[in-house]
Amino acid sequence: MPNPVQVAIPLLQHTGAPCEPLVKVKDEVTLGQKIGEGKGFITAPVHASVAGAVGMPSVTTLPNGRHVKTIPIKTGPNQLSADELKASLLGGDWPVSGLDAQSPEQIAQTAREAGLVGLGGAAFPTHVKLTRNEKRPVDTLLLNGCECEPYLTSDYRLMIEFPRPIVTGALLAARATGATQLVIAVEDNKPAAVESLRRAAEGTGVEVRVMETRYPMGGERQVIPAALDREVPTGGLPLDVGVVVMNVGTSAALAAAVLRGKTLTHRVVSVTGAGIAQPKNVLAPIGSSYKDLIDFCGGLKPDAARVIAGGPMMGFALNDLNITVTKGTSGITVLTHDDLKAVEETACVRCGRCVDVCPLNLVPTRLALASRYQDWDMARRYHLMACCECGCCAYVCPAAIPLVQLMRMGKAQLPKE
Amino acid sequence: MLLAGGTMLVMAIVAGYTLGWANKVFHVAVDPRIEAINAALPGANCGGCGCVGCMSYAEAVAGGKIAPDKCTVGGSSCAQAIAKIMGVDLKPSWPYRPVVHCRAHYAERLGRADYRGEKTCTGANLVGGVQGCTYGCLGFGDCVAACNYDAIHVVDGLATVDYDKCIGCGACEKACPRHIISMTPFKSQRIIAVGCSNQDMGKDVKAVCKIGCVGCMACSKASPIFKMTEGKIPRINYDEYDPENMDATLLAVKKCPVKNLIYVGKPSPEHVEAVKDQEKPKIVQVDFKTTVDQAEWRG
Repeated sequence: MPNPVQVAIPLLQHTGAPCEPLVKVKDEVTLGQKIGEGKGFITAPVHASVAGAVGMPSVTTLPNGRHVKTIPIKTGPNQLSADELKASLLGGDWPVSGLDAQSPEQIAQTAREAGLVGLGGAAFPTHVKLTRNEKRPVDTLLLNGCECEPYLTSDYRLMIEFPRPIVTGALLAARATGATQLVIAVEDNKPAAVESLRRAAEGTGVEVRVMETRYPMGGERQVIPAALDREVPTGGLPLDVGVVVMNVGTSAALAAAVLRGKTLTHRVVSVTGAGIAQPKNVLAPIGSSYKDLIDFCGGLKPDAARVIAGGPMMGFALNDLNITVTKGTSGITVLTHDDLKAVEETACVRCGRCVDVCPLNLVPTRLALASRYQDWDMARRYHLMACCECGCCAYVCPAAIPLVQLMRMGKAQLPKE
Repeated sequence: MLLAGGTMLVMAIVAGYTLGWANKVFHVAVDPRIEAINAALPGANCGGCGCVGCMSYAEAVAGGKIAPDKCTVGGSSCAQAIAKIMGVDLKPSWPYRPVVHCRAHYAERLGRADYRGEKTCTGANLVGGVQGCTYGCLGFGDCVAACNYDAIHVVDGLATVDYDKCIGCGACEKACPRHIISMTPFKSQRIIAVGCSNQDMGKDVKAVCKIGCVGCMACSKASPIFKMTEGKIPRINYDEYDPENMDATLLAVKKCPVKNLIYVGKPSPEHVEAVKDQEKPKIVQVDFKTTVDQAEWRG
């Protein structure tokens, strides 16, 4: 994708503390230069995704409607072309041996400096996962190639086109965490990705395991039991069962950061759905607007009805295309009128379908009621905070109760114990 | 007969002495002020003071943990009574009442999405873009649900306080997910307040609301009690607000290009005088007496 005229780099793109700007207005920045740094452990710096001049700091809207401070950068004349960029970030040859030159601490430190966060969507800072913890040793590194959200194919394309940086990144992450077992989990509806990864992983000890295709296989609490037969306790972390889970995109970015000194400035975004003229996977600079991406993909079709940040299950419906691509943006889905149905909410008929489909074995109908009537004792008893907001319950609900929204509402309001 | 009577008598004497002894030995000293304070409180158990109920507030006051003037329902007379029980001098304080820092009805603000989710402000606030302004009143009435006194209503999409009924418990302030309701000291029946919360730049405000604050700073230039915050919205410093000396403040009100500095509160006598010719809306008094006991039908 060509560089947009201007990018706006939000200072908060990750889970954790927001960043403070490091540059002033009219400063000239180069591609990949660090422009914001946060305080604390759970944070990640942000970097310039184009070379150019810094503009007046302003405010931009994220898909969830929150306003964050941003640093706009006006694109200068000297830019890498899209192909050069792709080659420098992902292409070429990636070593699979001789990675011992990097100490585990160095790898984690590089991940932090490069601003790496989980590219699956939650944007949790990667260096936190890669820092060794003596009390909780890690034996397995699981690379998550299960892209379960319908429509989205960004990880799929990455796995087919660039399996080698993924494998190299996995080896680096394993070295950082001390994991001895390396598994890449891919769903069985992506045979081309499995094939490509198997070829790249030959002789490296990385195992590619094929999973059943089932939403939400991409959630770490779903993929760990499926791939490793270990159950993550409710309220616990994968670390409790000796596992670190990383998205395949994060792995490729880690390889680029450690071996080529690249910071996280671009990511693969699926621009997809029946309402888009030419659906594509785009290597987009972070900070470009959704409008830039949609225009690059031929614009919206006349019958486009709803633009969603992310996939149709967990994404946010948008009312404005002037939204910024962040490190956590995995896709833009445009649905048409045919895809949508408007159903009025009716009373719960106690059919129990939501209970059947909940991947975490929760009772969504109870949780939603507790949340609606602010019964926090009940919400705790039924483990409201364990809900991953995957949307299965709301999808099957015959009464069209906005279950996920009620969960989110409850989680936002639940008083601290 | 005699034996039975004698036994009862002996048991009565023994039990009586035991109870009397237990009463002395196991006596729990209760601060008599707690009971007195509780009696002086209105017993609304609204939680506006921050305690669980009136009794727990009485205990906290007697224990010296909280000031005696925190009961908003009782007002100044209640505070004086409690201060007398506690033997302290009470500085006069102003009644705190909620002010909604938004004045945009449906007609004035840009509605955006066809919202079909949960019909509460907390729910709508989680979804970006139910309406254009991401700061202003959502109008689903979480504050109305929180109010125990029927003193706040959503009128044409905007939460509106009924200052005749409001006792200032602060429940609406806590319920608002956008935090646009603030408890404000009412130094007179009506005070000036800022009727907007939007912290964006003027152009962005204009795009979503016809009457939002554009951050021109005219008010802060006219009167020092208006302080511009980092978010480009003025805040009134009510410590310096003086209802007797309003010249500079009224100048600021006049200068405001979007007329966003508004009077809130009960109208003054002069104001009532000005509209006395107009027909008053009929107010139905709610009768809390139940009629069940007089009913013949007992289904």
